[in-house]
Amino acid sequence: MSFLTIDNATKSYGSVEVLHRVDIDVQEGEFLVLVGPSGCGKSTLLNMIAGLEDITSGTISIKGKSMNGVHPSNRDIAMVFQSYALYPNMSVAKNITFGLEMHKVPKAERETALRDVAKLLQIEPLLDRKPGQLSGGQRQRVAMGRALVRNPDVFLFDEPLSNLDAKLRVDMRTEIKKLHQKLGTTIVYVTHDQIEAMTLSTRIAVMNGGFIQQLGTPKEIYDTPANLFVATFMGSPSMNLIPVKILEENGGLVAETTNGLGETIKLPFAAPPTGLKDYVGRTITLGLRAEALTDPDGADSKAVNLVTVKNRVIVMEPAGSDTFVMTEFGGQDCNARMRADVQVAPGEDVDFTINMDKVVAFDPETEDRIV
Amino acid sequence: MSAGSTDTAVRTGRITRTALYLVLLLFALFYLLPFAIMVINSVKPLTEITGGNMMALPQDWTFDPWVKAWATAQIGVDPTGLKPYFWNSIKMVVPAVAISTILGALNGYVLTKWRFKYDTLIFGFMLFACFIPFQIVLIPMARILGLAGLAGSTPGLVLVHVVYGLGFTTLYFKNYYQVFPTELVRAAQIDGAGFFRIFWRLLLPSSGPIIVVSVIWQFTNIWNDFLFGASFADFDSQPMTVALNNLVQSSTGVKEYNVHFAGAILAALPTLLVYIVAGRYFVRGLMAGSVKG
Ligand SMILES: Nc1ncnc2c1ncn2[C@@H]1O[C@H](COP(=O)(O)OP(=O)(O)O)[C@@H](O)[C@H]1O
Ligand SMILES: [Mg+2]
Repeated sequence: MSFLTIDNATKSYGSVEVLHRVDIDVQEGEFLVLVGPSGCGKSTLLNMIAGLEDITSGTISIKGKSMNGVHPSNRDIAMVFQSYALYPNMSVAKNITFGLEMHKVPKAERETALRDVAKLLQIEPLLDRKPGQLSGGQRQRVAMGRALVRNPDVFLFDEPLSNLDAKLRVDMRTEIKKLHQKLGTTIVYVTHDQIEAMTLSTRIAVMNGGFIQQLGTPKEIYDTPANLFVATFMGSPSMNLIPVKILEENGGLVAETTNGLGETIKLPFAAPPTGLKDYVGRTITLGLRAEALTDPDGADSKAVNLVTVKNRVIVMEPAGSDTFVMTEFGGQDCNARMRADVQVAPGEDVDFTINMDKVVAFDPETEDRIV
Repeated sequence: MSAGSTDTAVRTGRITRTALYLVLLLFALFYLLPFAIMVINSVKPLTEITGGNMMALPQDWTFDPWVKAWATAQIGVDPTGLKPYFWNSIKMVVPAVAISTILGALNGYVLTKWRFKYDTLIFGFMLFACFIPFQIVLIPMARILGLAGLAGSTPGLVLVHVVYGLGFTTLYFKNYYQVFPTELVRAAQIDGAGFFRIFWRLLLPSSGPIIVVSVIWQFTNIWNDFLFGASFADFDSQPMTVALNNLVQSSTGVKEYNVHFAGAILAALPTLLVYIVAGRYFVRGLMAGSVKG
């Protein structure tokens, strides 16, 4: 039985349904990230778990107990808000222990808990200050301290890093990950940043328009996106999408398209998804990650099915660790991730190697992945 | 070239500034002059006023008019001075200000953080109180006070002022709490704080500036009110303003202008004091609610 169960939960504001039949099971110790564009319903779902928003229909249960109608303070959850929501009139120490005080924890115990958390988060020198006297990163820590001190069943985070500058965000990301590994608590974490989602989570729920688009491990989400939305939303640069025609040749399936030179090229599948047979003769969308499109020397040596084709370089962007090279397949701009030292120039025709093990195919009408 | 233009800029600045200060000074004088005359004449013997120049400084300094206005002047039929009425006013103002401010804060809290159906409509009705002239409510209010058994008593006056002030205090606190982050309230809810605990521990301690605004506004209005005091108060609950009027009206024989002046200043002192003590928070509080709202 799972730790946190969201069973067929929906949410409507008036006649508008903003969350549609959400089903998620979270195991104990999991780090679930809800990711999606702004307005897709992530915060709403998190607030429903917290009990800050009513559930229109369905059930949310923690440890097998239905939480419908249970007050937020009795759910054994703690939440870190995007704005940190530190009480401005209370000292850091009071901010952290306020929840314990409300739950009638004796003073001595509160002091011990405070000291432990302050040590864990290295905020001991800040305890007497007011939130207004703290930097963004320090506030973030205090907000986490307030959640940690309660020692809850489930931690809820609503975009906790989005108010920090880029450098601090990366640092705090690592720290949250460390904390999770150290404490092994169950976390539901909301973000619109797909990199945060990939790096932090043990599982990701990609949301759009109030629907869960896909629920899976970061690797599943990245390698086998359920549909075109997930394919383009997750990953940076986003997945290359190439219109190709499926043909049957020598008992195998090939994808036919054109390169930037106007030549027809054929990309044979090594192990095509079984459903692809039904698409012979039709045009589908082929999904290709930038790192599956490289210079021949940069190609994955473990890959089984590499296809090398000539193509024209449109733009070249050195990014330090890699060089991104833009080219064209099937009339679509495509990003290739090449080695940092690769010698190519715009306008040049060079060899591109496609890792056909990594391609995914989408039905252009339903936008779902062909399995 | 650039140095020259900088010079000009500074000179123009200085001229504008001087003009500005002159105008301000003029206005200050304009407002201070009547007060100065009141003060000067309140420490003169009556003969100097009737026989001489109102503007002149006193030749004989005397505090007798003050003592008389406070303790022995004829108010209505009794020679009690303003003293008992001063306490009447205090007994009316303090609870009225406190209750209307607290209730306004509670209303603002509910209207912004515990929204319910038709809350804006209800707020609209409350705002009505700000626009209804005093005179309109006199008769219905008298009827209600009579029914409640509060006619002619200090609690009755407190009730009237609380009801009348609630529109304003609610408006102030609603605007202020509108920009108070709702996430804070939610965090406190998760922490286990209930409705009133959130109000006392979180909202109120963060409301300093707007409390000052509400207190100053209510204090001045209630202290200076004459109409309700004259209409609803009995002999032993009449406020300072009504007594001052009686002092000025009831002098049989000679008009003791020096005593009247002293009485008038006495009546104005508390509001003056409130402004001096809390005034600098006043503007800050007014801004805090409006700028972001
Ligand atoms: N109180 C509300 N009343 C009506 N619609 C709301 C309310 N709160 C949120 N919504 C709508 O619900 C959708 C999801 O919002 P939210 O969960 O905040 O999105 P996000 O994924 O950015 O956190 C949005 O379209 C938003 O407009
Ligand atoms: Mg959100």
